[in-house]
Amino acid sequence: MSPNRRIRGGKVIAADNLYTVILGIAFGVVLATAVFVAYKCYFQYETIFNIP
Amino acid sequence: MTISSIFLCGIVVTYVALADNYKDKYDEIKTERDSFKETAEDKTEQYNQKVVEKDALEKRLNSEINNLKIEINTLKSDLKVVEAQKMHEEKRASDMASVVETTTQTSKETTKLLMDREAQLTLAEAERIKLEAQLEDTSNTLLERLAIIQTLEKEKKQLLEEKAELQSRMEKLLQPTGKAPAPVVTVTPTTDIARLAPIVTKKIELRGLVTAVDTKNKMASISIGTADGVKEGMRFHVTRANKFICDILIIDTDAEEAVGVLELIEEQPRAGDTIATNL
Repeated sequence: MSPNRRIRGGKVIAADNLYTVILGIAFGVVLATAVFVAYKCYFQYETIFNIP
Repeated sequence: MTISSIFLCGIVVTYVALADNYKDKYDEIKTERDSFKETAEDKTEQYNQKVVEKDALEKRLNSEINNLKIEINTLKSDLKVVEAQKMHEEKRASDMASVVETTTQTSKETTKLLMDREAQLTLAEAERIKLEAQLEDTSNTLLERLAIIQTLEKEKKQLLEEKAELQSRMEKLLQPTGKAPAPVVTVTPTTDIARLAPIVTKKIELRGLVTAVDTKNKMASISIGTADGVKEGMRFHVTRANKFICDILIIDTDAEEAVGVLELIEEQPRAGDTIATNL
C-alpha cells in the first residue's frame, strides 16, 4: 500500500501499488492452486494431462 | 474478480484435496476382480472335477444300486423261504409243545404211579423184613426143636435098649417058675393114626343118543363129542325106557360125535337109545 493517498474530486483514491499487490496475491493463489492440482494429479494418476 | 478467483481457487483446492483417489480404487477393484476371476476359474475347475467325480460316483452308485437290487430280490426270495420254514417250524413247535404237554402229563402220571409203587415197595420191603425176622425166629425154633427131637430120639433108643435088657432079664428070672411077663400097658394114651379124608366128587352128567351101532365089531357112535365135553376113556350107560342095555367105552372123539366099544351087553343097542354118564 502506498503511503501517498490521492484525492480526486474530494474522494480518497487508493494507490496503484495496492491493486498490483492484490493482483499478485491472486496470481500466486491461482498459481499455487495449479501447482497443487498438478501435484495431486501426478502423484495420484502418474500423469497430468492424460486420462489413465 | 480477484476475490472470485481466490474463492474459486479455494474451492478447487478443497475439492482436489478432498477428492477420492480413483486410480487406487480402480487398482484395488481390478486386483479384486482378478482374484475373483482366478477364484472363479479355480471354482470352475473344481466344479468340472466334481462333475467328473460325481459322474464316476453316480456310475459306481448305480452299479451298487443294481447289485443291491439283485441282492434285495435274492433276500426277498430267501425271506419267503425262511418264512415258509418259520411257519413249518412254528407248526412243528406247536406239535412238539402238544407232544411235550402229553409227555409231561404222562410223566406226571408215571411219577405218581412210580411213587405209589415205591410206597408199595417200601411196604413190601417192610413186610419182607418182618417175614425174614419171623423166618429167622421160626428157623431158630425149628433148629431148637430138631435138637430136642434128636435128644429125644437118643433117649428113646436108650430106653428101648434098657427095655429089651430088662425084658430079657425078667424072662430069665421068670422062666424057671413057668411064668412069662405080661405085655406092658403104657399110661400115656397113644395118638390117633392118620386116616384118609373122604373123596369129594362131582357128577359129569352128559346125555345124548346112540346114532349108529356096528354089532359085528361091537362098536357104536353117539351124538355128542368134544364140544360137549366128551373125552376118550369116558364110559356111557345105554338105557331104553329105564332099562339098562349096555355100556359104551369111548375110544375116539370128534367135535360133534364120538365112537366107543360096547361092554356089559344085556340087549342089543339100537340107534336112538339114550346114553348118559350117570344112571
